[in-house]
Amino acid sequence: MEPLVEFAGVTLGYGRTAVLRDLSFGIAQGDYFGLVGPNGAGKTTIVRAILGTLIPQAGEIRFRPLGNGTVRIGYVPQRDSVNLVLPYTVGEVMLMGRYRDLGLLRRPRAEDLRAAEQALDHVGLSGVRGHPLRELSGGQRQRVLIARALASRPELLILDEPTNGMDLSSKSAILDLIARLHEEDRLTIVMVSHLLDDVANSVRTIAIVDREFFRAGEVRAVLTAETLSALYHMEVRVESVGGSTVIIPGRARGDS
Amino acid sequence: MGIPEALTTLLAEFPYAVYGSILVGVLCAVLGVLVVARRVVFFGAVLTQVSLLGIALTFIPPLDLLGHTGGALSVTALAALLLSGWLTDRRVPRDAVLGVVFVASVAVRMLVLQKAPQVEAAEVENLMRGDILFVTPGLFLFTLLLSAVAFALMALFARPFTFLAFDPETAEAQGYRTRRWDRAFYILTALVVAATTHLVGDLFVFGFLVVPPVAGMLLARRVRGIVTVAALMGLLCPVAGLVLAFILDVPATPAIVAVALVCLSGAWAVARLRR
Repeated sequence: MEPLVEFAGVTLGYGRTAVLRDLSFGIAQGDYFGLVGPNGAGKTTIVRAILGTLIPQAGEIRFRPLGNGTVRIGYVPQRDSVNLVLPYTVGEVMLMGRYRDLGLLRRPRAEDLRAAEQALDHVGLSGVRGHPLRELSGGQRQRVLIARALASRPELLILDEPTNGMDLSSKSAILDLIARLHEEDRLTIVMVSHLLDDVANSVRTIAIVDREFFRAGEVRAVLTAETLSALYHMEVRVESVGGSTVIIPGRARGDS
Repeated sequence: MGIPEALTTLLAEFPYAVYGSILVGVLCAVLGVLVVARRVVFFGAVLTQVSLLGIALTFIPPLDLLGHTGGALSVTALAALLLSGWLTDRRVPRDAVLGVVFVASVAVRMLVLQKAPQVEAAEVENLMRGDILFVTPGLFLFTLLLSAVAFALMALFARPFTFLAFDPETAEAQGYRTRRWDRAFYILTALVVAATTHLVGDLFVFGFLVVPPVAGMLLARRVRGIVTVAALMGLLCPVAGLVLAFILDVPATPAIVAVALVCLSGAWAVARLRR
């Protein structure tokens, strides 16, 4: 099957500096794809390339056009990256998900309002439209940002560290929501995270990224003790506890 | 002298002072909501100093051909263009870049004025402080035109400006060219600051870029409410300040800013009581 997004010998970087070299992998339609690696490894660089905000220095990124000739991408940023100085209501934030279609001046149509309302309903937050975003909990804020991305009716949903800094129940709820979007709505999902346990137990395929290290494939084939030990320069064990994969860090190499 | 009598006299003797200060008050207060939201307040302060440098440079031939307004506008627009590039450079912190431009503007202005021919201290003082009471009809009309353009641009670009202030990453992912829009915002702010600083002075302009938006943020729970409170302060504080200055025989600009600060104190007290 032809991938929805395909990296063919892609080198990415900023200015004249290459950060990641010669990447070749694909994200299949309907896949739940995890992008993991240490902080500063280049995960965001790959996301920016998929979003089209970073042009490859070499190689090609191919998209397989769906229904209307393009791949519509919904993006969910890290929730701490949004600026909460002004008290935008959830309704106002939701409409930002439709700005691409509205342009500069067109007033939101019934269709835009309906898309925003349906997306909020879909993430279980139909009653908060008039609330300021900054007054919601971290988990609710994350749901609103997911709903805003859904309001643009995407075929590919990219989430950047969606569970970062969340307590156990909020994290579990967000991961359940993403799994539901993948299974019930058949959305292609790319989840970026440095939290290996979250990704290991959620995604179908995975890419492990570091500057001099890149491996992509089925979770079981890629997420091995050997690979992770090489990536993090420490002993790492991968075990199964009650059907879930658990990553257990050991002693850092060089520690006495 | 009572307040109605003072107001009547002001409107009769100095109509452009009243209308001009209201115009600048509302314009700076509304633009200031975005300036504060984007956390670039210091940018506003720096622009007022760059604008004064632009005025100072017009004391030197052949730059005097530009006129004070032309000098302020061209130097501030050029600075905004350069700053919009420097501010996105991650090697140097944003406030450090602004600090350097601030210091450079003040230092160069002092040197220029010291060496400029035919400059009288009183003239310089008036220009730097902004001589509200002696706003000319021509200068007022120019500011009115610029305000109309600025308000039209703020309305036209409201979506990209607010989206980029709120969530630049997603805005970029949606296809907004963030650098281009940032540059547009900085240049718009620069033009407003340059034109209005020449009219009413740096203290007034910087004060109204910051104080009314902050009061709005303390009082209102919605963005529209914040803009409304800021605009109302921009409308009423200059009039109240001018009346106060007339009655107490004190300088107009500090009196106007003082009234705005009193309003801010009131907003802060109300916000505390609500908590």
